[in-house]
Amino acid sequence: MVEKDGYDGYNRRLRVLGMLMVLVIAVLIGRAGYLQIYEGEYYAGLADGNRIRIIPSVAPRGTFYDRNGQLLVTNRPGFTVSLLPLTSPIKDEVIARLSQLLGVSVEDIKDKIAGHSGFNPIRIKTDVTPDIVSIIEEQKELYPGVMIENTPIRDYVLKQEGAHTFGYVSEINDQELEEKKADGYKSGDIIGKFGLEKIYDKYVRGEDGGDQVEVDVSGKPVKRLGRKVPVPGADLVLTIDKDLQTAAEKAVDARLAEIHASAAAAVVMNPQTGEVLALVSRPAFDPNLFAHGISSKDWAKLNNNPFHPMDDKAISGEYPPGSTFKIVTGTAALTEGKVAPEEKIFDSGHHWIIPKGNAEGEALGWINFQEALAHSDNVYFYEMGNRLGIDLLEKYARMFGLGQRTGIDLPYEAKGLVANREYKKKNFEDGDWYLSETFDAAIGQGFNLVTPLQAAMVMGEIAADGKRYKPHLVSRIQTQNGEVIKEFQPELLSELQVPANVIRLVQEGLHDVTKFGTAASTFRGFPIDIAGKTGTAENSQGRDHGWFVAYGPYDNPNIVVAVIVEQGGFGSQSAVPIGREILEAAFHVGRYAPGAQQDAKEEGGANP
Amino acid sequence: MVGNTLNKKLFKRMDVVLILAAAGILVTSLVIIGSATHINTPSEERYWYVQRQGIFAVMNIALAAFLMNFDYKMLAGFRKKLYIFNIIMLVAVMLVGHSALGAQRWIVIGPISLQPSEFSKLIMIVCLAGMLEERVGRLNSLRDLLPVAAYVGVPFLLVLKQPDLGTSLVFMAIFFGMIFVSGIRLKLLGGIFAAGLAAMPVLWHFLKDYQKMRIMVFMDPNVDPLGSGYHIIQSKIAIGSGMLFGKGLFHGTQSQLNFLPENHTDFIFAVVGEELGFIGVALLLLLYLVVLWRGVQIARDAADTFGRLLAVGITSMIAFHVLVNVGMTMGIMPVTGIPLPLMSYGVSSLTTNIMSIAILLNIHQRKQKLLF
Repeated sequence: MVEKDGYDGYNRRLRVLGMLMVLVIAVLIGRAGYLQIYEGEYYAGLADGNRIRIIPSVAPRGTFYDRNGQLLVTNRPGFTVSLLPLTSPIKDEVIARLSQLLGVSVEDIKDKIAGHSGFNPIRIKTDVTPDIVSIIEEQKELYPGVMIENTPIRDYVLKQEGAHTFGYVSEINDQELEEKKADGYKSGDIIGKFGLEKIYDKYVRGEDGGDQVEVDVSGKPVKRLGRKVPVPGADLVLTIDKDLQTAAEKAVDARLAEIHASAAAAVVMNPQTGEVLALVSRPAFDPNLFAHGISSKDWAKLNNNPFHPMDDKAISGEYPPGSTFKIVTGTAALTEGKVAPEEKIFDSGHHWIIPKGNAEGEALGWINFQEALAHSDNVYFYEMGNRLGIDLLEKYARMFGLGQRTGIDLPYEAKGLVANREYKKKNFEDGDWYLSETFDAAIGQGFNLVTPLQAAMVMGEIAADGKRYKPHLVSRIQTQNGEVIKEFQPELLSELQVPANVIRLVQEGLHDVTKFGTAASTFRGFPIDIAGKTGTAENSQGRDHGWFVAYGPYDNPNIVVAVIVEQGGFGSQSAVPIGREILEAAFHVGRYAPGAQQDAKEEGGANP
Repeated sequence: MVGNTLNKKLFKRMDVVLILAAAGILVTSLVIIGSATHINTPSEERYWYVQRQGIFAVMNIALAAFLMNFDYKMLAGFRKKLYIFNIIMLVAVMLVGHSALGAQRWIVIGPISLQPSEFSKLIMIVCLAGMLEERVGRLNSLRDLLPVAAYVGVPFLLVLKQPDLGTSLVFMAIFFGMIFVSGIRLKLLGGIFAAGLAAMPVLWHFLKDYQKMRIMVFMDPNVDPLGSGYHIIQSKIAIGSGMLFGKGLFHGTQSQLNFLPENHTDFIFAVVGEELGFIGVALLLLLYLVVLWRGVQIARDAADTFGRLLAVGITSMIAFHVLVNVGMTMGIMPVTGIPLPLMSYGVSSLTTNIMSIAILLNIHQRKQKLLF
């Protein structure tokens, strides 16, 4: 049949198409017949004999190593007691027996059963002791439906040390599950909740495997239908130096005990790369507590501590920068030409416009820039604030990266705050800006807030001749076999738009701090040339916070340190000694000199 | 009235066999959705799915009946506008779409989530029929085929990008069905398949991890017994354990105890297999055969080339859906998440399929003999 469109093959081709349709249906019916009639008995058996269960094998999380390959966080084998969900409810007597054996209340077990859906095992208690395992294994008939799973337990070998950095893991909660379902997270999964565990969770967690098994009516596996081998998570090689971390922790603890303070933070970085070598936050917590479900007693203890052990003060604690902010004020004043380096300003103990002065009413007389910085003279820097005005102060503070997150690879980093007109206007009834507030801002009081990490960054920028590198904690992500998945290079975030000679002048002033200035007594005889700055941040809640920031060696710095001691009083008495000890450890001098290493450790140990 | 007599004549030309087959599937669908969503267990929301599907079915049928008054040939005139609308819709889903299970496929309008890629298939059939109409019998070389391929290629790639691998495969099935009936030279067709086969390893790289996984799982469900392999294994158990007569409606242990995931949508066929047995499965598949067979007949008898190609496109689409979906539940096709026409729960799919049947009926009504 020739159609209007001149093509005459329709019927033939449509017939082929029709045959194809018949074929499709025939194949499907054939397949159904095969499954339902030929193999029907087998599948009916599977469906009736209480079917199929999935017994997961949890992938071990990746290991954390320090920069020299020392172990920081790993896993240890552990046993978990679980119930396999059955079609018939688990008998009360079994639950009662289990409750007694495990020391978990009957209500808790029933809650867990009720709150569970799906056919994965219901985890009743993780990390049980081997004798519990053998009791259950030996008396199987008393515990129908109870099984022992091998689950790797996270092991933070340094306990409290580095806790805030490494973070902790625990079972995924409903909200996290909702957010991460698409990424393959399941209920019951262990996920990183804090620190690096949280940030790098998707690399570190690996991929759970498991067995799909056929179980009988009592829940006993009778046949394995499928298996998926778990893929261990990737390892993290950190920029952290374990020895330095330990030294910093000990230095902080020793000083806190001595001056009866409770909270502190310390940051140690390489200013030329942004690598973070040590981070300390006090008080701390033991992340191992979370690995097998923290007890409510331990949790209450952590929660009720007025110094918030769960906060990583190194990155989320916001404090007035105090005199450490004079670095910013000084850089601004010199760059803007508001003062010449040699110009002398008279310090009579207080400023002539507003009677604000030095702590304890000291008067230093005629002083130039370098002297003012070395002795942290407030009057001089009030005058700098007066000449600059709040807007220029704000500009330079922001240039140094204050008021914004540094972008370190840790969660919950705080932004800090740069004093500015807008903020006052928004947050205060009297929104006008006053000169006295500019004065406060110029010496790092008033509205200004920085995190210890930001304080270290500011000092690091001076050390690195104006370069600001992104702080980071991971240098490499690699598989268990050492194949590199991701490598992190130094990332230059910005450079100070400041003449080189200005930075030089600030560096010299900071150098004098440890020679003749506020930190000179502590650093007398220190074998490495150090530049530093002390600070005392007024605290309306109690005693002042003590600050110390420093870098060294002065000529070619590769270490920058920031230390704050909450309610530690003067920086020179609280934070500076800690800073000195950290620098000793970093440069392997003093008590940390190669020969003296053993002593240093013992001494640190004896001084908790 | 002339119009009236014409309408009466048209009414007499109703394809009763097709209507009965489609209605049979639709009714089965409502019953099985009811079973899969536990309508027999008391709970506040137990009627939700069935009610919703039923209401949308009735609304669609009413709309379809009204559209019978219009000649399908009018569609050819809207071809360009429809094509552009299609593209806009698919781009919109990428920009504002809601994602589910790694794919961005949904646009939420009030209480309804629409899946534009469902509609886009039918729109594409209309557009392609209009385009091929003028090229019938002249698809002899690659150069003849290229504009057609490009025409389908744009929406195809947009769907693939969502990513909705299943629907993009449906696009290909439609495309090949329609160019085949349009008289493409068999050598050319053979060449394309050979080239496609050769390009497989390259295309593999473009698949998302989860898509690769699904294909690997298809080869061997034990690759991922906890993930998508679980669906296949459970679905096979459900169907197989139905045996000859099934466990009876509402008595499928696999589906009633939620062993079977997505049992009112993509895996609805497994519920049929489990509860109605081989007899139910065979009858349902025969109903599909009737629909497909009528589709081919309607294409043969169509008044014009446009109608013929339209019917071929629709029939190819339905056939491919049935093959892939049913095949998937029985472990002979990969898991791609394409629904079973007129059976699976879902507003977008239901609308598309009822409209497809309506177009087939429309073409049948106006077949050659009636219009002199």
